[in-house]
Amino acid sequence: MNKKIGFTCAYTPVPLIEAAGFSPFRIFPESKAPDQAGHLLHDNLCPHVKKVLDRALADDLPELEGMVFINSCDSMRRLADAWHEAKPDDPIILLDLPSGINSLSLDFLSKEYERLAKTLFKWNNEPFSTEKIKDEIAKWNLLAASVKKIEGIMSRNYFPGIASGLQEIINTAATDSTDKALVMAQNKIEPEKPAKGGQSPVFVFGNLLFDPKVYDLFEEWNMHVTASDFCTTSRFVTQVDTKADDNIFRSMAISYMEQTPCARTMDTTKPGNIAQKIVQRAKESNAKGVIVFTLKFCDPYLARIPMIRQALQKESIPFLMLEGDCTMGSMGQQQTRIEAFTEMLGV
Amino acid sequence: MMYDHFDNAVKGITDKLNQDPEGINARKKYVLELSKLGKKLYSKDENIAWCGVTAPFDLLGSMDVTSCFVEFVGALLSSTQTAGYFFEEAEDSGFATDSCAYHRAVMGAVLKNAMPEPDFIIGTSSPCTAGLAILENFAHQYKKDFFLLNVPQNYTQDAIKYLSSQLEEMVRFVSDHTKRPLSKQKLGIALENFNTSSTLLKEIYDLTKTKPSPVDNNILKDFGTVITLLMGSQEGIDICQAFKDELNHRIKTRRHHDSKEKIRLMWIQNRIQYPFPINEMLEDLGAVIVVDELNDVTWEPMDPDNPFESIAKRMISIPFSMNASERIKHLQDLACAYRIDGAINPCH
Ligand code: SF4
Ligand code: SF4
Repeated sequence: MNKKIGFTCAYTPVPLIEAAGFSPFRIFPESKAPDQAGHLLHDNLCPHVKKVLDRALADDLPELEGMVFINSCDSMRRLADAWHEAKPDDPIILLDLPSGINSLSLDFLSKEYERLAKTLFKWNNEPFSTEKIKDEIAKWNLLAASVKKIEGIMSRNYFPGIASGLQEIINTAATDSTDKALVMAQNKIEPEKPAKGGQSPVFVFGNLLFDPKVYDLFEEWNMHVTASDFCTTSRFVTQVDTKADDNIFRSMAISYMEQTPCARTMDTTKPGNIAQKIVQRAKESNAKGVIVFTLKFCDPYLARIPMIRQALQKESIPFLMLEGDCTMGSMGQQQTRIEAFTEMLGV
Repeated sequence: MMYDHFDNAVKGITDKLNQDPEGINARKKYVLELSKLGKKLYSKDENIAWCGVTAPFDLLGSMDVTSCFVEFVGALLSSTQTAGYFFEEAEDSGFATDSCAYHRAVMGAVLKNAMPEPDFIIGTSSPCTAGLAILENFAHQYKKDFFLLNVPQNYTQDAIKYLSSQLEEMVRFVSDHTKRPLSKQKLGIALENFNTSSTLLKEIYDLTKTKPSPVDNNILKDFGTVITLLMGSQEGIDICQAFKDELNHRIKTRRHHDSKEKIRLMWIQNRIQYPFPINEMLEDLGAVIVVDELNDVTWEPMDPDNPFESIAKRMISIPFSMNASERIKHLQDLACAYRIDGAINPCH
């Protein structure tokens, strides 16, 4: 069994972790660990970051050989600081992730990814190998292609259980191995149950929603999830376009920055473009309505909601905003609102 | 409304200064210059850029762009007690009630057409993700071009190179909008002015370190953050000189006595902007805020022969830009240098 590397952000390239001989372990913000993060960080930080820190403080984690943090937003950056304080002996690397996409930022990020790769190989006393990285990327890309296929099936028809099944595959890639996830994905390409009618097609997006059971609940509440955009769903399995550049790290930088970027990444040539992207994805997936799940105190998302709402309104696409802590536990409170919304959408 | 506010401030302060031509009146002169800047921002015949807090205002000034960080207006709306009206507008359009109050206020002002329309927008990733998100909203709302300066968090050669290349691109972006190329001579003057102001700032801060300190709780409030708007200009030098003179004068005339200064405090981050008598409350207790976190010169002198690299290093050196341990070390250094008894860290 490989030693594990912890990480918290979808901009962390799993192929680099696996190429260095480690297993990935994404730390999801769900645990029964007591609420202690407030001792180290301010209470007005998003529950994602606080729960991850709670897990670290309560030792509610497998043994980790090191942690990869990404400076994706202020909260994540502070999480890295707090982790260092809470676990001073843990090897940590913090990558600087540019906020905008342009040639300079891609150069910079490619150097950051290279720094990450070299650090990981060093942590495992392995000789640095671009070949290994390329092999892992090839596998990862197969997984990404399978995930895309499953998503395509999801958007065309309602197959009960497919959304939670997809989430299980993605979680396996995040917390175990690409190989295992790939086997699961290839078995899932043919839906287990026949297509059904009668559910309202909805596109869901937001920060993170990772518990497969949540998707089963959605189905109970009359929702057909046509597609999703969370940093824990298909956005996590970023296809690396190896032809994008001769330098593999630059190819990774291009792919991770450009594919359905999260709210914290901007296309400065089209300010507010995230709103258009959400509209486009909702339409492409044949959704009749859109639900956003946001976390309290998440500036990157909350500040973009007005633009997104405006853009959806313009297209007459109904929109529901739900705030919670992204866990299964908080979902029960949303049932009435979700059911009312799907009822209003019709089938 | 805002133009009138600044116009009245300029007239009122000018009258007061004319009545006391021999006086030093540093704070009044400073507020006068900021009000003039406010007036320019709201006049229609300037090239206006709304920016992030750490934008290079000296470089923009040398390109004849009137620029300002949006939080400056947020603070003003708060101090004039008009923020509430704009909060409502922002919240109605979907901005979260627990987001940064500066940003909610200015976003409300944008939606109510109370902010001058910029020619373009320059966002900075430091100090905060929230600020950058708001500037993207500005660009979206005004349909204006947006340039983003990503301020890396580590003081490495790669980081400095990355930021200086971005600054060069920013110059091209600005020139494309103003149709004026960068004048090396003007930039050289701005950087010289910046350096002179920096030297004066260091002298000001050295004076404030004395025990008892010549400052009261108001005189250098948020000074380090806001003076950057003026530092590339002659006015910036004059203001810094006035503060230095004022503090020297206070020390000479022993306006501040040991008996008054019982407790020396540091203020972390920026001050409370809405009317709240914290200064007076502290004064009653004999407590003096001798240093604000950002009242410090953390950069080396600007090198006019190497302007972009110098500015990049300066931007990264601001404590907010780096990781927490660097910021804490900076606070510890200030605590020792100013011999403080305690610190206040507000949350707003
Ligand atoms: S993007 Fe939002 S949810 Fe994610 S870590 Fe940052 S603040 Fe938290
Ligand atoms: S108060 Fe915080 S969120 Fe608001 S502008 Fe300042 S650093 Fe940014």
